[in-house]
Amino acid sequence: MREDPPRPWRALHALPEPPQPSAIPAPDRRAVLRGAAASLALAAAAGCDAPDNFGQPLYSRPRGVAREVSWFATALELEGLGRGVLVRNQAGHAVKVEGNPAHPASLGATDTYMQAAILSLHDPYRSRHAREGGRPRPPLAAEAALAEAREALAARGGAGLRILTGLVASPTLARLIGEVLDAFPGAAWHQYGPLADDGALAGARLAFGAPVAVLPDLSRARAILSLGGGVLEEGPAQLRLARDWAAAREAGRRAGHLPSLLVAEATPSLTGAKADRRLVLRPQEIEPFARAVAAALGVPLAAPAAAAHPDAPRIAAALRRAGPEAVVLAGRGQPAAVHALAHAMNVALDAPGTTLRYADSPYARPEEAGASLRALAEAMAAGEVTHLLVLDANPVHTAPPELGLPGLIRRLPFSLHAGLYLDETGLACRWHLPLRHPFEAWGDSRAFDGTATIRQPATVPLVEAARGAEEILAALLGRRQEGATGLGEALVRETWRAAWQEAEFEARWRAALEEGVVEGTALRDRPARLREGWDPGPAPAPPAGTLAALFAPDPGLWDGAMAENAWLQELPRPLTRLAWGNAALLAPSTAEALGLAPGDEVELELRGRRLALPAWPMPGHAPDTVTLPLGHGRPTAGLEGGGGFDAYRLRPADAPWTAHGLVLRRTGGRRMPIATDHHHEIRGEEIIRTVAPGEELPPHRPGPSFYPPWPYPGHAWGMAIDLDSCIGCNACVVACQAENNIPVVGPEEVARGREMHWLRVERYFIGAPENPDTAFQPVPCMHCEKAPCEVVCPVNATVHDAEGLNTMIYPRCIGTRTCSNNCPYKVRRFNWFDYARGGDGVRVANPEVPLRIRGVIEKCTYCVQRIGAARAQARAEGRERLRDGEVVTACAQACPTQAILFGDINDPESAVARAKREGRNYALLGELDVRPRTTYLARVAQAPEGPAA
Amino acid sequence: MSGAQGGIDTRRIADVALAPRFGRGFLAALAAAALGVLLLCYAVVVLLVVGLGVWGTNVPFVWGFDLINYVWWIGIANAASLFAAVLVIRRHGLRTAVNRFAEAAALAAVLAAALYPILHLGRPWLFWWVFPYPATYEVWPQFRSALIWDFWGIMSHVVVTSLFWYVGLIPDLATLRDRARREWQRRVYGLFALGWRGSVQHWARHQAAYRLVAALVLPLLLAAQTIVALEFAVTLVPDWHQARLPVHVVGTGIPSGLGVVLVLAVLLRATLGLERYIDDADMDLLGRLFAASALACALIYAGEIVTALLENPRTREAFLSRAFGDYAPLYWGAAVLTTLLPQLLWWRRLRHIPLVTVPLGLGAAAGVWLDRFSLVAGGLVRDHLPRIGPLYAPTAAEWILLIGTLGLFVLALLLFARFVPVISMFETRHEESEREAP
Repeated sequence: MREDPPRPWRALHALPEPPQPSAIPAPDRRAVLRGAAASLALAAAAGCDAPDNFGQPLYSRPRGVAREVSWFATALELEGLGRGVLVRNQAGHAVKVEGNPAHPASLGATDTYMQAAILSLHDPYRSRHAREGGRPRPPLAAEAALAEAREALAARGGAGLRILTGLVASPTLARLIGEVLDAFPGAAWHQYGPLADDGALAGARLAFGAPVAVLPDLSRARAILSLGGGVLEEGPAQLRLARDWAAAREAGRRAGHLPSLLVAEATPSLTGAKADRRLVLRPQEIEPFARAVAAALGVPLAAPAAAAHPDAPRIAAALRRAGPEAVVLAGRGQPAAVHALAHAMNVALDAPGTTLRYADSPYARPEEAGASLRALAEAMAAGEVTHLLVLDANPVHTAPPELGLPGLIRRLPFSLHAGLYLDETGLACRWHLPLRHPFEAWGDSRAFDGTATIRQPATVPLVEAARGAEEILAALLGRRQEGATGLGEALVRETWRAAWQEAEFEARWRAALEEGVVEGTALRDRPARLREGWDPGPAPAPPAGTLAALFAPDPGLWDGAMAENAWLQELPRPLTRLAWGNAALLAPSTAEALGLAPGDEVELELRGRRLALPAWPMPGHAPDTVTLPLGHGRPTAGLEGGGGFDAYRLRPADAPWTAHGLVLRRTGGRRMPIATDHHHEIRGEEIIRTVAPGEELPPHRPGPSFYPPWPYPGHAWGMAIDLDSCIGCNACVVACQAENNIPVVGPEEVARGREMHWLRVERYFIGAPENPDTAFQPVPCMHCEKAPCEVVCPVNATVHDAEGLNTMIYPRCIGTRTCSNNCPYKVRRFNWFDYARGGDGVRVANPEVPLRIRGVIEKCTYCVQRIGAARAQARAEGRERLRDGEVVTACAQACPTQAILFGDINDPESAVARAKREGRNYALLGELDVRPRTTYLARVAQAPEGPAA
Repeated sequence: MSGAQGGIDTRRIADVALAPRFGRGFLAALAAAALGVLLLCYAVVVLLVVGLGVWGTNVPFVWGFDLINYVWWIGIANAASLFAAVLVIRRHGLRTAVNRFAEAAALAAVLAAALYPILHLGRPWLFWWVFPYPATYEVWPQFRSALIWDFWGIMSHVVVTSLFWYVGLIPDLATLRDRARREWQRRVYGLFALGWRGSVQHWARHQAAYRLVAALVLPLLLAAQTIVALEFAVTLVPDWHQARLPVHVVGTGIPSGLGVVLVLAVLLRATLGLERYIDDADMDLLGRLFAASALACALIYAGEIVTALLENPRTREAFLSRAFGDYAPLYWGAAVLTTLLPQLLWWRRLRHIPLVTVPLGLGAAAGVWLDRFSLVAGGLVRDHLPRIGPLYAPTAAEWILLIGTLGLFVLALLLFARFVPVISMFETRHEESEREAP
């Protein structure tokens, strides 16, 4: 009946058809259920002290699960840089991750990856056995092989030994690698991360002659120019940058004039979505633009910009107005010259010391990952390598294919891979060892600002045979466990014993474990002076008339390492709203010029390599450019590949981020990716409201009601969501999924519109598709005072409680789904299948939250279990009323920008009550007068260059 | 009792029910219907074991074939009962010919319809929770919910339709009892004839009861159909939230019911050789009624367009997207089949051509089905917030269930035709004798 997939602004009759799941190379439902069985294992773990094996009871706490909850402070790494987390451990098992408020890279917030780590921990498809040639071997055999290698290598001074890791900032890991290199002088260490920002490193070397790290302090920034994103997107510093940006914005809102975020980028990003002014530039136009802005700022350049960009003077003026309170940041994947230009502009603005500071790199040995991997490949090709250790990296999947890494590794006499999964590299190597999950192992890590965290196990090891990377290196060094302390812990202690004085060691050790941060380890400022001749001059223009391929991390799977995680696979990507797969993103105008409809299959050819995948027009995308999200389409993942297409297969070694000369052909086929969003149009003003700074929305006067108002003498729970702060990062969605045992339903079911997320983040485009304004709106249950769902339920399965929660009584629900029909916000979810308990179905973790059986409706509860726990705690302390901030919902806790406020609206001093008194407060669909307890704070917009001076 | 009173012999009708064999055609039809019922059983078992996920429903399209077919079947049942009841109350001449099988069709349709509200539940085995039984927890149904009203509506519908059909059948059951050649037939018909002896007192009470039940049918049917419409109209969904919806559902249901009665009449005439009892004048009258109801339906459609355009913008948009959006073919298909095409029957000549009347009657039934589809699915395309999911499209499981309920409907009618008189014998005799008397 219908052929056209979602296009926001098309006419009424061109609505999308339901995607045909069969057309997508996606795992079938069964496979997904198997893959998502991590949650099953997680549930089993949560209840595993119980002698019976009947799974989690539906309506009550599992037998044997203790109420006692303990929290372990530890860290999770992204790109080798730690973000502090607190892991909730119940009955001996890790069940939920929260951010560590004391950690500078978390400040209590989490991102999607941190939230989802708990699922990976319990994934039954994790590697469980040491393997040789793919066949399971006892762990002792692997150790013997390592000992044999050690002896063989010792005889020739380590010649032929290579270690390949991801980027390493961990002091202990770095120390042990150093010891290996000392013990085997002929050995070499390589680092490779497919998303490592080599340009940033090269740019720092260009500008300062050293790998200087820039640590921005956005809380003081009045103007931010982002060249190619890189402020609010996923990354090791995202949570901190987002929090600081939100804090500056909050201060700006109070002061009546907002700081401005100016973004020039090719692929729409979260940074671009929140930009006060966004310029759409082709990737090759970013450097000339940066040059033009720099010239306007008076930066001495080797060569002036070829042609002044029309917007450059205004952007420069905005930066100039902010003076030292301005900062220029270059995003991931920008060439070195752009990073160098950003450094020079910061110096010209006198920003160092105010909005940024310089420090040494937090990495143990900063190096350009691409060059490091190429050196390894060349050495292997030259036959110089006999022994290769791959620690927690998957280069066979992520390396540029022209390096021929799989073949080179297979030819080695000894190769050993240690990883969480038996991945592509694990299969290519002779030996594979299962690696411990960070929550099971001892270790340490450093944050982007250098702050160290001692990682401690937050659960008993779930995989017997698994080892930490540090232990494998120790085994290579021939070191064994001594004394009562386990080897992993001993290795970490050793590192820190060297750093601390002996007398205070135990006290500091304990303090570090409790706090989750090691005092005084943040990077110290270092002087950095612009080098003479830092400007390499303008880059040669790419051949005209060709397409550019942009490679980008997938906002969900990152570099592909998260591909096994069903929560992340099913998470609709913030801007594309695609789940369980990726697509070639391109500008609507380019798609139109090429005659491409969404879902049309295209064959991309780049330097002789080809890849067929669906095209997906993306509003706000730069023309003549195709963005390829990395990390999908992995052949060996436990989810049987997930959906999507492996863009690494096209990625050239010398142009890992932007490659020109892409050829695009229509194949004539159609492969509709799974889109969770079929918006065709927005009645913008009503749904997403925007005010000028200081402007107030007209108050909404509630109309008459047939039923008398219900008194809430005690607490009255409510929520306020600040749309001005929300960056659309999805952390709240995964946090809600983890907290509330929300099942994964798989690609087929998502394609049918049956995703179960209780909280969704809506993405709206407003304006022309070339460069629309993007708005995010998290939509949980509104907990309407006059809840329309309640009166239509024939069996009273959804009713109000005494504190104003719209509760859902699962055992009473018979599944008429009438409530969903009458919910104007469409936040109710139905268990079409036995997602929670069926056969090999999805099981979930939090023992405080009941599972839902087939045939019942479920929805956001405002984390009623947390309210209950807080109330119990208050009663135990002899208090009748809860204090503000005592109950934090999972979504609010995860939010990096603290956009979600929750509390008692009866308490006039509570944060949420104060927020609701703000002039920006409005109810979504307020005209229906259902009086939602969840309200929104309008976005604030001003002229992008700030208020008229 | 003699069937040969006056000029008409009703023995033929009784013989149909009492015949030992019915011929191959009947057996084939019976087998086909039984196959349909087997499919129904299969669909129900799959539904109960696997879950509602086998349907194409999702959020926001939480209702699909379940409600579409429920409303459709109820519409057929209502229109057929309504038609029969009007004939009985008005003592219309046509009643002798058609009201018995109209009642039977209504009953079969109610049975088919009643399956859906139970099967569409997430947990069908708990459907009885909508009944206000004294539960230990003292939880009562939500009496403000239209689904509770609907529960009472359909319960009353089943009871009254069955009573109407059965009360009308009693004298004829007695006739069959008296004519039965086999002992067991005599006993079975005798049991259901409730000791009918044809005394004047019996007749007087029977007539009173029959007309009383018929009179009950009228408001109840309107109420039942209205309540079904209220299930939609009391929600906040912009396209559903309209006061005109009950009129729409009742009014558009009539052509489909009449269409089905018309088709059945043609089939009975052709297959059982009952031309004499359902004569050309009856067919003529039925055809004109059918066309007139379609005309009424056209007025309802016109009213819908006018009111929708006068409504608030959100309702207007919702209606426009239903009429011109994704599900537009359903809307226009319904409009053509239920309002335009039946107008052909204003031509006297066409009213007597079965090849015209049968497709038109079936078309009207199909058209109302499309209308219900358009309402249930198309009405949700434009909600208060922009739609977030894919559209609704029925799956194989839903089609199988629909075919299964069709099989149930046909099977019930075939058994009816086999075991009870398809035409009211006593009414026919009565009419004949009235005609002879003066």
